[in-house]
Amino acid sequence: MKPALHAEWTKVRTVAGPLWLLLGAITATVALSAAVTSVMSCGAAGCGDDPTKLSLTGVGLGQAPVAILAVLVISGEYSSGAIRTTLAAMPHRVTVLAAKAVTLTGVVAAAGIVAVLGALAAGRLILPGRGFTAARGYPALSLADGPTLRAAVGSILYLALIALLSLGVATVVRDSAASMGVVLGLLYLLPILSQAIGDPNWQRLLQRIGPTSAGLAIQATTDLRSLPISPWAGLGVTAGWAAAALLAGGLLLRIRDV
Amino acid sequence: MYIYPHETTSTRLLTPMSAPAIAVTGLRKRYGVTQALDGMSFSVHPGLVTGFAGPNGAGKSTTMRVILGLNAVEEGTALIEGKPYRSLRQPLNHVGSLLDAAALHPSRSARNHLLWLAHSQGLSARRVDQVIEQVGLTSAARRKAGGYSLGMRQRLGIAAALLGDPPIIMLDEPFNGMDPEGIIWMRGFLRSLAAQGRAVFVSSHLMSELQDTAHHLVVAGRGKVVADTSVAGLITAASRNRVALRTTSRADAMRVLARAGATVTAADPDAVAVSGLPPDRVVTLLRDSAVPFSEVSAYRATLEEAYLELTRDAVEFHAATPAEVSR
Amino acid sequence: MTPTMTRYRSAQPAGRDGFPQLLRTEWTKFRTVRGWVLGMVAAAVMMVLVALLAGAGSDQHGLPAVPIGPGGEPVTDSFYFVHRPLGGNGSITVSVAALRGGISSDRAGLRPGIVPWAKAGIIIKESTRQGSPYAAIMVTGSHGVRMQDDYVNDRAGLPGAVSAASPRWLRLDRSGDAVTGYESADGTHWTMVGTVHVDGLGSTVQGGLFVASPPSVQGFGTVPSVATAVFGNLRVQGGWLGGHWKGGQVGPESRTFSGYPANAPGSFTDSGGSVTVTGAGDIAPAVRETLPTGGTIGDILTGTFAALIAVIVVGTQFVTAEYRDDMIYVTLAASPRRSRVLAAKAIVLGAVTFVAGLAGSVVAIPLGKRLAEANGVYLFPVTSSALLRAEVGTAALLATAAILALAVGAMLRRSAGAVTTVVVAIALPYILVAQIPFLPAGASSWLTRVTPAAAFAVQQTLVPYHQVTSISTPYNGYYPLAPWAGFAVLAGYAAVCLAVAAVLLRRRDA
Repeated sequence: MKPALHAEWTKVRTVAGPLWLLLGAITATVALSAAVTSVMSCGAAGCGDDPTKLSLTGVGLGQAPVAILAVLVISGEYSSGAIRTTLAAMPHRVTVLAAKAVTLTGVVAAAGIVAVLGALAAGRLILPGRGFTAARGYPALSLADGPTLRAAVGSILYLALIALLSLGVATVVRDSAASMGVVLGLLYLLPILSQAIGDPNWQRLLQRIGPTSAGLAIQATTDLRSLPISPWAGLGVTAGWAAAALLAGGLLLRIRDV
Repeated sequence: MYIYPHETTSTRLLTPMSAPAIAVTGLRKRYGVTQALDGMSFSVHPGLVTGFAGPNGAGKSTTMRVILGLNAVEEGTALIEGKPYRSLRQPLNHVGSLLDAAALHPSRSARNHLLWLAHSQGLSARRVDQVIEQVGLTSAARRKAGGYSLGMRQRLGIAAALLGDPPIIMLDEPFNGMDPEGIIWMRGFLRSLAAQGRAVFVSSHLMSELQDTAHHLVVAGRGKVVADTSVAGLITAASRNRVALRTTSRADAMRVLARAGATVTAADPDAVAVSGLPPDRVVTLLRDSAVPFSEVSAYRATLEEAYLELTRDAVEFHAATPAEVSR
Repeated sequence: MTPTMTRYRSAQPAGRDGFPQLLRTEWTKFRTVRGWVLGMVAAAVMMVLVALLAGAGSDQHGLPAVPIGPGGEPVTDSFYFVHRPLGGNGSITVSVAALRGGISSDRAGLRPGIVPWAKAGIIIKESTRQGSPYAAIMVTGSHGVRMQDDYVNDRAGLPGAVSAASPRWLRLDRSGDAVTGYESADGTHWTMVGTVHVDGLGSTVQGGLFVASPPSVQGFGTVPSVATAVFGNLRVQGGWLGGHWKGGQVGPESRTFSGYPANAPGSFTDSGGSVTVTGAGDIAPAVRETLPTGGTIGDILTGTFAALIAVIVVGTQFVTAEYRDDMIYVTLAASPRRSRVLAAKAIVLGAVTFVAGLAGSVVAIPLGKRLAEANGVYLFPVTSSALLRAEVGTAALLATAAILALAVGAMLRRSAGAVTTVVVAIALPYILVAQIPFLPAGASSWLTRVTPAAAFAVQQTLVPYHQVTSISTPYNGYYPLAPWAGFAVLAGYAAVCLAVAAVLLRRRDA
């Protein structure tokens, strides 16, 4: 496993693409969070919203470059034929996938820490100016606050899980465009599809099983009772998706010809 | 000894009566810090197989892309029968080319690949079936091209090049990935195309492949032409009037000949190469000094040798010689 | 040896090299890759499947019927009515000296406040049956005096809020089907607001005072509100029957009425000359907010998002596969006029996607509608031209999105990045607007105006009414731009990207 990890780390480190995508993920997360928090305003009727969750809105965009990176980690090898070299050098295929998963988790978590802290810092700076003040019951965002810390850590884990889910899907699908289509479908389509269903019970069910709608419950710090699923259970659902995708990918990688 | 039917016409080519099939003049192109083309100039004429040789990185593929209007250059022109490629209306009726045999959508069948190409030139499906038969792919034509061997892909690429029945055929490394049978087929095929009066322009980084195929050679190194000559001319030049001597008393022979002003290099235990003296003078000297010898002949360099000599300084990546390694 | 070399002449007759040949070339390329054809079929099938899901997704048997107005549109017709029958012609005059209100609140129970479209005034209505024709003149929370009839028609009178210092006098004059409204600031100088012809009033109608207060919109939800008006100088002339005024709630159990705030029921008190009426509800066309269980064509077409991802993947691959396989060399060697190649690709891709999208929407809409209706779901009515526009517009949206993907793919020459860019550009604004309930209207309208997501306006079949406050988000089926204007935004992105892609294709080495 150690040489496989070393090999995967070297692969990620020695091309420019992953670095740019990680920087893109950080930029996208912080920029969208800053944009959303700076258009919000607290009116007479109250602010209504959860400031921590608002500050972390950017994760919804930052996950896109993370997904691209994860898909390319495997489908890039298929399109260039490098997968044959990889598997000839390391015939234990599941180890290769595991090494890719570990490396990916590491780099995405590292970028995720920067992205999430940046987004929270943006919220901390911007929100008081938009009326989210201590006087109105919104103290400045702080990691010392238990739910905010949970939301921050959870968002970093969420990004890592999205990377693993994408890696698993791409191992199954192999073609990068088609993999990306499936991943984006899971990330962005389910929340929209749940709107097509008129029945509120069905809607809630879809929100509970969607990898984004369930996983992002980790960002909520107020009104937890109205969530479709509790924060950690929601992140567990996303983890379940990632595990299922990796499992399917690992199985197919073992039995398929390269 | 190589005897080619068109060898004698090579001098005529220096003063062509009409525009050459392909005329490349002073191409210059830079990729970042690499000078890919540095004044590349040559021409390709009808009725001949023109080999385009040179080490990897000499600029062969880039030149071919420039000829096909795929890559732009900072300076210079590449003309097809006097016109730039991008001004041609049905380009495949003028030039058939194969740059990369792997350039196929893997899930499209060979026939369908040729079909879209035919449609782009307003050609019929009947023509597609003709070229498929010509390259011997009929039985596999409806299979997905993704499953083809490299040799089959080369044949498919040749079929694509023949589609417009063009007077100029340009192939980049067509021998790559071919089995010996395929190589023999390819050689005969290229020569038959030339015999029909077509200009055939073929690149290779392996001289042995061109040796029995090309009539004329353009040798490139570091982005420019280092030799533009007939195959025979190249060999003669590389032989440099040397004399090959076979003798059991090598040391004596070398001493005698060196004293007479010749440069003598040892080839193997009982053979030396002599330059600077004509063969009859070598025979006389040896006979006068009673040095025994079994054979004196005009030294004839191989094409490989000639090529290595030409491109020695042009090779971009040298393998370290053992001496260099031990240092 | 004499040179006998004759230059080879192609035996292949020169074919035509027009643009049609290029189209045929790209069509051959497209149809011979099975994955792409399947991708397009999948797009159409997903539209149908989601329509089935949407149709089967809720069972609304047993819900009360939706009140329908004279024009066939669903209406809210629930308000507090103090009325007497009027046989034949006659008129009614009243002054309004106060309009106050309360809005439900978590903390205070009922906080003071008047919603913009709270209404208090006089009305002449065919009957107390919900959806019956009427004409009314009223003061409102913040839109001044209005004269309205038959739910959808609205005209403005004097602006400004009403108070004891600045009362409003209102009069309705009925003559057959014609009802004329007048207003006055002092009861002496009268101005005619308008005359309307109310079809189907009948000879005996109900007339009198009414008060309504629609729910207050907060974030993505609404809370009940209530309004109280103080009337004076009530005078009737003509064929009024019955000796006394009767008060009561019209449509108390209606599907389009969300009820009174807790502990604030409707009432009226007549204290000699001054009548105080408290009411909630509205007399207005129903919108998504007041009829949340109502289905729309947009809901049935939610599968467009799934189809969108499929056509974006195919559109991207249609060009990036050429780069991946290095086939671009063959393509451009065969057709050196590069912009024409890109144009041919865009046309072929657009046409194929349009056909797939049209097939999908033409099958999906009737199937989804039928299933929904079988489940007792009320569907907002759609004119046949709006339906056609939604069908054709959806196909055009998919086709344009595919072309945008093609253009971005040609620019980036990489699949994953191109697919993601286009999907995120179209879907993310939509999701942001849907998921941040308190996003200010300006920001959310901006997102659905300037991003490619604006094109979903072609699917809007809900009619927006200015006289009803509602949550106008794409999520609810309302778009800030007109259908084809929204489409033009996406088309603009596609055109610009295609132009940039063409320039890059010409400039860059293949």
